[in-house]
Amino acid sequence: MSAVRQSANGVFSMNGREWSLLVACLLAIVIFSVASPHYATSGNAATVLRNSVELLLTGLGMTLLLAMGGIDVSIGIVMGLAAIAIGRVLGADGNPALALLVGPLVGALLGCVTATVVVLGRVPAIVGTLGLLGVYRTAVFVLLGGQWLSGLPSSLTNVLATTVLGVPVPALVIAIAYLIIWLALRRTPYGLHLLAIGNSEEKARLSGIPVIKTRFMTFLISGFLTGIAATFYVATYRNVEMTIGSTLALDAIAAVILGGTSILGGKCSLIGTVLGVLLLRILQNGLLLIGVPSLWQPVVTGVLIIGVLGFEAVSNRLPLGLIQRARA
Amino acid sequence: MKTLRTLQGPALTLALLCGLWLIVIVGLLALRPSVFNLGTVTTVLQFSTILALVGLGQALVILAGGAGIDLSVGGAVSLSAILAMLCVKLGLPPVLLPAICILAGALLGALNGWLVNGLALLPFIATLGTFFVYSGAALAVTGGAAQAGVPAWLLVWGRGVVMGIPMPFLTLAIPCFVLAGLVLISTAWGRWIYAMGFNERSAKLVGIPVDRVRFILYCLSGALAGAAGLVSLAWLGSGRPNIGQNLELESLTAAMLGGIVITGGRGGVGGVFAAVLLLVTLKTGLLQLNINTVWQVGIVGALLVFVLLADRLSQRWRS
Repeated sequence: MSAVRQSANGVFSMNGREWSLLVACLLAIVIFSVASPHYATSGNAATVLRNSVELLLTGLGMTLLLAMGGIDVSIGIVMGLAAIAIGRVLGADGNPALALLVGPLVGALLGCVTATVVVLGRVPAIVGTLGLLGVYRTAVFVLLGGQWLSGLPSSLTNVLATTVLGVPVPALVIAIAYLIIWLALRRTPYGLHLLAIGNSEEKARLSGIPVIKTRFMTFLISGFLTGIAATFYVATYRNVEMTIGSTLALDAIAAVILGGTSILGGKCSLIGTVLGVLLLRILQNGLLLIGVPSLWQPVVTGVLIIGVLGFEAVSNRLPLGLIQRARA
Repeated sequence: MKTLRTLQGPALTLALLCGLWLIVIVGLLALRPSVFNLGTVTTVLQFSTILALVGLGQALVILAGGAGIDLSVGGAVSLSAILAMLCVKLGLPPVLLPAICILAGALLGALNGWLVNGLALLPFIATLGTFFVYSGAALAVTGGAAQAGVPAWLLVWGRGVVMGIPMPFLTLAIPCFVLAGLVLISTAWGRWIYAMGFNERSAKLVGIPVDRVRFILYCLSGALAGAAGLVSLAWLGSGRPNIGQNLELESLTAAMLGGIVITGGRGGVGGVFAAVLLLVTLKTGLLQLNINTVWQVGIVGALLVFVLLADRLSQRWRS
C-alpha cells in the first residue's frame, strides 16, 4: 500500500497545497476589498459563510466519492428532492423534530438508489448518476407541480438558527461531520479501503478489500450528508424553487479538486475541500460584487476544474529539479 | 423465437430496437390515431438530425475505449452555433457560416482531445469541465438571447423537404452514418478503433497510433456537434444559446441503446441510428399527447439506467 499517500496526520494539519489555498483565499479577499466598496463588510462575510453551508456538507461527501474514483452529478437534485420532502412535512404540521429526521432519511434513501445502480449494477458512476439526474429532475418538477414551495413555517428555522455555547448550529454540525469523516478516513479500515479502491479497484479486490461494501457505504454517506444540507437549505430560505441545486454538483466537484483530492485515487484531503469551498464561494461572491454577470459562474467554475487539473498534470511531468528551481 | 435466439451482437440489437420502435408506434396510435401522418414523420426526422450527428460522435468516442466519453457535446453544439453567428455579425461573409460552425466545433473538440490525450486527464472529468465552460459561455456571451440573422439561402437548405424527408437529414445525417459505418467496417482506421477499444495495451503494442486516433475522434465528435449546431441554425433561423441542452444525456442514451458498450470496443453505428429514431419518435409522441416536456428528460434518463442495468444482467445470464 505504498502508493497510498496520507496527506496529513493531524485533524487540521495542512500541507503546501492547503497553505497555498489559504493564501489564495486571503489574496482574493484583499483584491475584492480593493475592487469593490461593498465587499469588506461583516454582512457580506456572513453571506459568504451562509452560502457555504450546503456546499461544505455535500463537498465532504464528494471528497470521499472522488477519492474512491467515483462521482455523483445528481447530488444537487437529490438535495432538491430531500428539501421537498422536508417542506411537505413542515407544511403539514410544522413539527421541527419530524422535519429534522426527514431530510437525512430521504438523502440516505436516494444514496441507496444511486449505490444500487452504480455499485451493484456495475455501471460507470458518471453515466449512472447522469441518468438518475434526468429522472430526479422530472421528479422534482412533478412533485412541485410547476410551482414554488414557499412560505414554509419558521419552526425549523428557529431550531437551526440558534447557537450552542456561542457556536452557530450549522458550524457545529459541519464540524461534527468533518470530525467523524476524518476519524473514519484516518483511523478506521474504511479509510484505507477507500483510498486503495481509488488507487486501483482491481488490486483492492484482489487483496481482499470489501470493494462493493465500501463503495456502497460511500454513496450512502454522500446521500446522507446531502440530506442534512437540504435541512439547512429549507431552514434558511423557507422555500423550494424549481432550479434548486442546479450548480451544487459542479461546485462540489470543483471545490474537492481545488482542495487537492486526486480523482486518480489514493489522495484525499478534507481540510483542502473546506478551503476549496471557501475559495470558490469567495470568488463567486466577489465576481458578482465587481459586476460580472452570474451567467459567467459556471464558466469560471469549469475553467477552475480544468485549470487546476491541467496545472497538476503539467507540474507532475516536469523534472523535479525544474520545479524546485522555479520555486526558489 | 428460435431465430431471435440465434441472433447475436449488432443484429440482435437492431431486432430489439425495431421491436421497441413498433411497440412505441402502436402504443401511440392506440392512444391517438391522428398522431402519425407525413408531417409527423418529417418532424421526427428533423429532430433526429441533431441527435443523430451528436450521437454518432459520442458513439465513436466511447467505442475507442480508454473510458472515453464526451459530456461536452451539448455545450459544443450551442457554442459553435453562437460563435458562428457572432463571426457573421462581426463582418465575416455569411457564405462561410457553415465552415465556421463546423470548424468551431472541431476546435472545441480538439481542446477536449488535448485535455484527455496531452494532459492525460480522465475523459469524464475533463469533458464535464468543458461542458460547463462551453454551455456557460454560450449563455453568458449572448446574455441568453437568441442570435437572429441566418442568411436566407441557409434556411432553404435547413427547412427544405424532399419526399417528406428533411434536407439536412438526407444530405448530412445519412451520409455521415454511411461514411462512419464504412470506415468502421472496411478500413484500417475502423479496425484500429475497435482494437484500441477492446484492449488498449495490445493495440499500442502492435503499433496502432492510439493517441492520434483518440485525438482525432474527439475532434470529430466536436466537428459533428458543430454540424448539429449548423443544422439548428438552418432549421430554426436563429442561434439559440441553449439549443444543446440535455444533448449529453440524450446522445449517451442513444449510444448505449444502440448497442455501444460503455467500456468500448463493441457495437456499431447502425444500432445508434436506430436508437436515435426510437428516442425521437418517443419524444415526439409524448409531445403530441400533450405531456409536459419535463417528462422527456426523466424518460431518457430512466432508459439510460435501464439499458446499462439490462446489459449487465444479460452478461450475467450468459456466463
